[in-house]
Amino acid sequence: MMRFISQRLAMALPTLLLISLMVFAIIRLVPGDPALLMLGDMADAHSLEVTRAALGLDQSLPVQFLIWGKAVLSGDLGHSITTNQAVLPLILDRFQVSAGIVLVSVLLAALIAVPAGLFAAWKQNSSLDFSVVATATLLLSIPSFWLGLLLLYGFGIKLGWLPVVGYVSFGDAPWQALSYVVLPIVTLTLVELGAITRMARASAIEVLRLEYITHARAKGLSEGAVLWRHALRNAFAPTLTLIGLILGNLLSGIAVLETVFTLPGIGRLMVDAIYARDYPVLQGCLLLVTFVYVLVNLLVDLLYPLFDPRVKL
Amino acid sequence: MKKAFILAGGLSAVLMGNAYAENVLNVALNADIRSTDPGVNRDTNSDAVMLHLTEGLVAFREDATVGPLLAKDIQVSEDGLRYTFHLRDGVKFQNGAPLTSAEVLWTWHRYLDPKTQWRCLGEFDGHGGAKIVDVAAPDPLTVVFTLDKPNGMFLTSTSLPECGGSGILHPDSVVDGKWKAPIGTGPFKLGEWKTGQYIDLLRFADYKPRDEAGPDGYTGNKSTTLDRVRLLVIPDPAAAKAALLSKNVDMLIDVTPLDSQELAATPGVKISSSGTMSVNALLFQTRDPLLKDVRMRQAIAYSLDTTQIVAALTNGLSKANNSMVASGSKYHTAVEDQGYGFDPTKAQRLLSEAGYKGQPIKLLVNKRYPSIFDMGVFAQAMAKASGINLELETLEWGTQLERYQTGNFQMMGFPYSERLDPALSFDSVTGDKDKEPRKVWDNPDAKQWLQEAMRESDPAKRQALFDKLHQQMIKDVPLIPLYNGNSISALRDYVQGFRSWPVSKPRLWTVSVRRT
Amino acid sequence: MNKPLPASAAEPGALALSAPIRASQPWRMPPLNALIGGFLLLLLLVVALLGLVWTPSDPLSLNLLARLQAPSAAHLLGTDEYGRDVLSRLMIGAHTSLWISILTVSMAIVAGTLIGLCAGFLRGWVDRCLMMINDALLAFPGILLALGLMAIIGPSLYGIVFALSLAYTPSVVRVVRGTVLSLREREFVEASRVIGNSELYTMLRHIAPNCIAPVCVLATSMFGWTILAESSLSFLGLGVPPPAATWGNMLAASRPYIATASWLGLFPGVCIALSLLAFNLSGDALRDRLDPRMRK
Repeated sequence: MMRFISQRLAMALPTLLLISLMVFAIIRLVPGDPALLMLGDMADAHSLEVTRAALGLDQSLPVQFLIWGKAVLSGDLGHSITTNQAVLPLILDRFQVSAGIVLVSVLLAALIAVPAGLFAAWKQNSSLDFSVVATATLLLSIPSFWLGLLLLYGFGIKLGWLPVVGYVSFGDAPWQALSYVVLPIVTLTLVELGAITRMARASAIEVLRLEYITHARAKGLSEGAVLWRHALRNAFAPTLTLIGLILGNLLSGIAVLETVFTLPGIGRLMVDAIYARDYPVLQGCLLLVTFVYVLVNLLVDLLYPLFDPRVKL
Repeated sequence: MKKAFILAGGLSAVLMGNAYAENVLNVALNADIRSTDPGVNRDTNSDAVMLHLTEGLVAFREDATVGPLLAKDIQVSEDGLRYTFHLRDGVKFQNGAPLTSAEVLWTWHRYLDPKTQWRCLGEFDGHGGAKIVDVAAPDPLTVVFTLDKPNGMFLTSTSLPECGGSGILHPDSVVDGKWKAPIGTGPFKLGEWKTGQYIDLLRFADYKPRDEAGPDGYTGNKSTTLDRVRLLVIPDPAAAKAALLSKNVDMLIDVTPLDSQELAATPGVKISSSGTMSVNALLFQTRDPLLKDVRMRQAIAYSLDTTQIVAALTNGLSKANNSMVASGSKYHTAVEDQGYGFDPTKAQRLLSEAGYKGQPIKLLVNKRYPSIFDMGVFAQAMAKASGINLELETLEWGTQLERYQTGNFQMMGFPYSERLDPALSFDSVTGDKDKEPRKVWDNPDAKQWLQEAMRESDPAKRQALFDKLHQQMIKDVPLIPLYNGNSISALRDYVQGFRSWPVSKPRLWTVSVRRT
Repeated sequence: MNKPLPASAAEPGALALSAPIRASQPWRMPPLNALIGGFLLLLLLVVALLGLVWTPSDPLSLNLLARLQAPSAAHLLGTDEYGRDVLSRLMIGAHTSLWISILTVSMAIVAGTLIGLCAGFLRGWVDRCLMMINDALLAFPGILLALGLMAIIGPSLYGIVFALSLAYTPSVVRVVRGTVLSLREREFVEASRVIGNSELYTMLRHIAPNCIAPVCVLATSMFGWTILAESSLSFLGLGVPPPAATWGNMLAASRPYIATASWLGLFPGVCIALSLLAFNLSGDALRDRLDPRMRK
């Protein structure tokens, strides 16, 4: 197993390198430079020169890449061009916010969706099944940021129950922190419920028709035991893959939701970094997000055999 | 055990938050500050915040002239080369140390050191203005600056917000050669800065105010009744508005004219506004094959009903102003009021004289500054009515800035940030196109008059020069200034004492909060 | 913006059919999801096509006197911040969104299928190389790719199409390659080889057709994702540049008015949701039809 893990991590290295190169190249191809953006319309030649030199942008591209690469290998991701903060603590901080919300939402969604999907599969074609599928499909079709806007309007502005902006970390004030993240978590959970329910139901239906289920029933096991012990485990495998994919994608796609709820997360950090041409932050974020993506995929692959014994590591 | 404690603490903090009598003001900032080092690695928000913590020798008064702040008085030598500042007595730094000329010397030597990367170094090291040859401290309460040539803009330059107002700092602000935290003399000191979230400013209990009865711009009596100001970082304008409506913040420093209309009608919210010295203009590339004919540019100018455009864009808050001298500046007189006027017949005549055949002209705009985008939309519609074919091209701000810098455009809508003196305004558009392509106006007379205006201290002489510059600009049409911006703030009605002003940066020491 | 998820994440090849020979079946009432999905799709198509030739008012003309008006007889769905009729803009928005989707999905499918076929069939270092690039693209946050590309190209409709197809192609590649891999060793492929057909012929005649089904299902989902992605990009400020109307643009522009003119945000959102619903239901119906195991 350790060999598997280290093999996979090693295979991820070229991906990381490729992505770093891609980001490095793309962001520098984009017209507009950070020094100019900082100075705005007050950029005379002298100040521009001074600012560029201060940011290390006066050297050739390959040199810049090598300098950055070397620094990364020693753990230094540089400093943000816009705020001068150290990049690594900055992106870890922001990542914490996004990851917290994403993980809780996906977990909640899974906890509700998997049993619901299972149940619907068990009672396939009944009115219960129908309502579950209908709800799931409906939820799948709602754009997350629109839902977020509606909830924000309803609970934040019209009813005034929840704050509409900001974020307080749990370390500081747990109850307050909770009130800030309730809406984003609810939004995300609702949106993910749709996909996970459908996948769970689909896999469960497939499994329930298989011979070993009939065999288990013939053996005399109660429906509950059949469902729980056999169907759930095997149906869960594809759902697990889906959850892994969702996690991986969410962490980068969460920018829009963070904009709606004004959360200091990593999605917004990346978008802002592009607009401000903040190269070090962008490069650092990409490294982190890619790394997490690889890790999540690895985790899913490791857990898969637990649910589907046909698949070996 | 610890968890229960934290939970209880958090719960009681929420419950007590309203009962505690601490005088707190919550303000929304549209972006986090860059650093706490005034004038170094800064942007407009950083300037605004730092000017609450530090004070310079001189500062802008309410009427945008420059007056003494930390100085008691200023004497200028006959030849204009020596400025003697006598410091006020009894002023303390936020770490308890008294203000003496030693700290002023230390601060200025640090600013003038290229390693500090002070934003305004270029103003004082010979690249612009006049060079500071020497800064001396003959006694603990006197500082003498010596320049290499007379410069009417010297005091103004030191007071500029982007220079951090040349705030005087205590040497303990820098530890081991690295910037640590600002220790100034201002009415607030730095509390907690939670990056990306908020900045707390705490009242400086031992602040020594000036003798005046009340505040006067950035000088005057700046004592405050607030215990704490929390500046929350809310980049998204819609979220900021929502926060104001739900009382999560008490004040929005900057709102758009459209939002201000809506907020003014909202119960419990009031609006404070003032014209600023920023200029929104339509720029021309006078070297463009089509637009190099001055009649083309004039035609476009006459095709625009500037009054109507400005009324719609600013909801009547700004007046049309075809001059680079801001409406609110004391140098804006009847001469500067002379603009183009709306004359489509004249426009069409000029077009036929120039031989215009309907060729498309690209007008660059961006969505980051909605007023610029809207300006483009209106301009396009109006020019069309006179037969001029303007095509809007929406760019991302970074890209447009690049095109501006390289002069690679036909026309563009551009927001010039505020310049607190007309000479600086003219300087932003006047220059040598070969050396600085972003300067839209390359006229030898204009360049010369501008140099004189920078050197001259006598207001009457400066006014004459600005008049000449304006009249020449109307003839040459290198750009069409349309209007000056507005600084509009939205406040809850329990926020008293706040006033917007032409220098546009907020002054929160004047604010008192009366929550019921 | 979410990356498209393969229709059946676990076994992409599971939906492939071996050479199907079906006896003709009596026509049965199409299932509910096909009915509703088909109806909504048809509605979308009709509105989009109609928007090309006729709208109640001119969607591009400004009317500053009639800004932000609530729905009324003159303007069935109200007016926006420039006084333009919302219904008309929604109609041309339908057309634009649909056009972007069609272009994007087509490009992604063509490119993805070609690459997937090559990778799955040729294997070896070609496969490994392609998959490495593919995985890198897949891991790259789509939003950043789109933002970066569009900042380079400049915000434009074709820029969005290019950026989104680039973001979606890797998923198609994965699905196609998976199908090819699972089919390579099947009996009828073996049989084809034994008969003496060349590898290329085998691939084109036997394997490629079986990729159509999973790719079709993926395509229906991709239509929906493109509409969603375009709205997300508009929301972040980099969608199709104004004055063009897309649903995403309209939703993004409605944000400042959420409290005062809520209809501005309501209707584009409803349109997006209905379109997604249409594609999801149709995709479901298609998959149900193609995969006998899902039928009860």
